[in-house]
Amino acid sequence: MTAQVAAYAIRFARGEFTLNEEVPRFTEHELAQARMGNPQALTALVRAHQRSVYSLALRMLGLKDLAEDLAQDVFMQLNRNLQSIESSAHLAFWLRKVTAFKAIDQLRRRRRLPTTPLDEEMHLCSDANVGDPLLHRHLERLLEELSPPARAVLLLRYQEDLDPTEIARTLEMPINTVKSHLKRSLQLMRQKTPGALVARPEDQST
Amino acid sequence: MSQDLESQLRTALRPIAPSAALEKKLIASVTEKPAFAPQTGRFLRRGARSRAGWLSIGAAACLLIAVGMQHRLRERDERANGLEARRQVVEALRMTSQKLDLAYEIVKSQSTALDDGNPGA
Repeated sequence: MTAQVAAYAIRFARGEFTLNEEVPRFTEHELAQARMGNPQALTALVRAHQRSVYSLALRMLGLKDLAEDLAQDVFMQLNRNLQSIESSAHLAFWLRKVTAFKAIDQLRRRRRLPTTPLDEEMHLCSDANVGDPLLHRHLERLLEELSPPARAVLLLRYQEDLDPTEIARTLEMPINTVKSHLKRSLQLMRQKTPGALVARPEDQST
Repeated sequence: MSQDLESQLRTALRPIAPSAALEKKLIASVTEKPAFAPQTGRFLRRGARSRAGWLSIGAAACLLIAVGMQHRLRERDERANGLEARRQVVEALRMTSQKLDLAYEIVKSQSTALDDGNPGA
């Protein structure tokens, strides 16, 4: 156990992953290499951002196939626009923005997707066996009930850990709209979530 | 409870790793040479579509304005014609009235002359 912690500490010190998630960090140097077409740097770019893009697409669209197509589409568009990316922060911002907008567009184009319930899709591909699966499935189902922009706001807040200002910038909407989406979505989720499911933080920690 | 819900959301919405097959596809999509020509074509097509859209909106707006102007001009002409007709009617009535007055004066003077020439009658 101690050795594992030490190994993580060394990897973190080397900048191989951030505190939030075990994702390799994509450096400015790698970005410069990727812009020059270095295949290793491009592979590192995909590995650093694929989880974020794919998860956002999957949770927005609710279908694995569509999410995969969307993620591929986003990376293809990135390939065409790589020269305009200025920094690794800009890259993350660009990917989130393009993914969110493409997903919202798709949802608007066909109001009713022939959906497989989101939780089933998640269950197929989720590698996170953390917390209460029943509650998580319930929350994912509630997420599906939100409007596409509200869903995007909630995902950027809780999946991508962005603050409301960053979300407003990403989705090109006023900050007050972001705040009201967040407030209303949480209110709805609180109303529709039985208290017994949520108010058990001590159970989760054990 | 709010904090609990938010922390549960963070846990429930942890990023999901895509399958190895998708990772391969994604890597292939960024490593292959970008196709500039179709993009340019698409851009031009989109530009042309957008221009055509704006042109049709402009044409519709011009047509609407022209129809409105024509309607307004016709209304103004009709109003002017009406006023002219009223003026002519008033003029005709005035002239008729003058003629009637004149006729009345003549008839009246003739009857007075007859009365004066035949006092026994």
